[in-house]
Amino acid sequence: MTATIEPTVHEDQVVDHPAAADEPVGHRGRGVVGHVVLAVLSLACLFPIYWLYATSLRAPEDVYSLSVLPWPLSLDNYADAFAKTDMVRMLVNTTVVAVLTALGQLLTGLLAAYAFAAWRFRFQKLLYLMFVGTWLVPFQVTMLPNYVLLSQLSLLNTLAGVIVPTLCSALGVLLLRQHLMGFPKELLEAARMDGRSSWGILWTVVVPTLRPVLAALGILLVITAWNEYFWPAMVLQRSNGMVQLGLRSFMGTEGNDWGPLMAAAGLTCLPIFLLYLVLQRHIVNAFVRSGLK
Amino acid sequence: MSRIQLEGLTRRFGSVTAVDDIWLDVADGEFLVLLGPSGCGKSTLLRMIAGLLPPTGGRVLLDDTDITHTPPRQRDLAMVFQSYALYPHLSVARNIGFPLRARRLPKATAQAKIADVAAVLDLTELLDRKPKELSGGQRQRVALGRALVRDPGAFLMDEPLSNLDAKLRSSTRAEISALHQRLAATVVYVTHDQVEAMTMATRIVLLDKGKLEQVGTPEQVYDEPASTFVAGFLGSPPMNLVPASLAPADGRTRARGTDIDLLLPFATELPARPVVLGVRPEHLVLTTPEDAGIRGVVRAVENLGSEEVAHCLVGDDRLCLRGPRPLGLRAGDPVHLRAAPEHLHLFDPDSGRRLAWQPTPVATSA
Repeated sequence: MTATIEPTVHEDQVVDHPAAADEPVGHRGRGVVGHVVLAVLSLACLFPIYWLYATSLRAPEDVYSLSVLPWPLSLDNYADAFAKTDMVRMLVNTTVVAVLTALGQLLTGLLAAYAFAAWRFRFQKLLYLMFVGTWLVPFQVTMLPNYVLLSQLSLLNTLAGVIVPTLCSALGVLLLRQHLMGFPKELLEAARMDGRSSWGILWTVVVPTLRPVLAALGILLVITAWNEYFWPAMVLQRSNGMVQLGLRSFMGTEGNDWGPLMAAAGLTCLPIFLLYLVLQRHIVNAFVRSGLK
Repeated sequence: MSRIQLEGLTRRFGSVTAVDDIWLDVADGEFLVLLGPSGCGKSTLLRMIAGLLPPTGGRVLLDDTDITHTPPRQRDLAMVFQSYALYPHLSVARNIGFPLRARRLPKATAQAKIADVAAVLDLTELLDRKPKELSGGQRQRVALGRALVRDPGAFLMDEPLSNLDAKLRSSTRAEISALHQRLAATVVYVTHDQVEAMTMATRIVLLDKGKLEQVGTPEQVYDEPASTFVAGFLGSPPMNLVPASLAPADGRTRARGTDIDLLLPFATELPARPVVLGVRPEHLVLTTPEDAGIRGVVRAVENLGSEEVAHCLVGDDRLCLRGPRPLGLRAGDPVHLRAAPEHLHLFDPDSGRRLAWQPTPVATSA
């Protein structure tokens, strides 16, 4: 006779797992309706962009065609746009302005937000409210004083004139301060204990930790600067300074030159679309973090 | 290692006094534990020592040098935080080496130090990992490593084990104690966990509402609590505290209350007065009705594995009895208890301070 030792199983340890309940029909129905609504909205958003590129790719004589597919395809409108304006220079200028503006706003925003979030000083709240309050001041109020100042500094009709007055963004300060308020205070204190100065802590602890936030905000600021029209139009009196202004040269009193206009507009949008394709996750993040929609 | 002295250290937040006139002398190589409930001011006190919070009054001295207004980075102190405060963007090696880079130590020297510390804390295999890839215990060791690598004058630790599970906490407790003994380091350690305090400390400082309640070795604070607060804070379950009166009887003194009549250890008749009688749950023993000094009814019995705790109702007061399992008691049973006279504690009902036989009971100071 042989004996065996086996692990004991108590009856109350054996639990029947009920089969997962089927999803209620009502939930599925709501899901389908939601998808249909979203699909219609997506179509409404995407169609104008599609039409822009479709028109730009039609032959010049087919520009007014209402056919959905641009056929035969033609790059004549693009050639025309490049021939009539200095597209490359305008794109470079716009890129320089957008990137430098965003970098400047990030830097000033970071320094101000760090001071407001990590330090304690007299009149801190009042200063912060005043700082953020500048966001509520309409552009039209500051436009003329800024213009006069640029004129006195001989910065009119220069890219620096477009960039310098926009180097400080209340939105950037507001968003970065909010993030820094949620930044673990113990990390800052640990860095202080480990021998870093406030300046050192900013660059060795805060900035590397906030990299995703800074990237997301940077993208948002680049897009905003890229889409800016009115201020560059005021400062740069020449129409070929930036690509937004260059589009005006295809519009005239005798009618618009739709083919090259669509081609130039398509080229203007292209960098932003590419940025979106490559950094899709960060851009969505930027909008979510900013609370903007 | 260094000696830390606190002279009348005080911190107020508006009308609230978080730390009230604390005088302490932490000897070189001592493991001092600041113990108390949440909000008692222990972390505030530690942060003032670290320099992270300026005191409202008083001084902090490190090796007789006044460092009250010295910035944290210029104090020769290292701190381990409750959340570990590891830099999330840096690897383990760079986290440990962070204080060395701030001191601009040569790269080779820094790497050698990081390797040494990593070997001591068994982190060598993890040096390239980021903090998010580590377990709680490993993160805790990295935080310790970052403090160790500096060779500081003293270590400040703010509840460093509170985020660990019970098993890991127990083993890490032993590791920190071993490290303290090996380095002969001065450690000021904040915790609300009495087990940590009792097992690791060379001296315990008990704080309540920002005030110092008692300073002493673990044995002193457990065996001779200076106040009802200390008696009620230490021990699990804590000391039983019931109102009673001193009553002279036959050349001795007895403590009498509702269903309580216990002989006190004083070989003299003390004048009658109200007291708070204290007795630890493990010092109560079951006895016969004839020998009983305490009579009550069992309300509930808790099974702790090797021991049982019986919650009893004596008069209107609740008393706990702790002993090896099984105690042989069930809810509703009458219970008869006694306690040896040397295990009885007396406290002043008004001030809560311990009453000592000198030769008449007087209130002692902390």
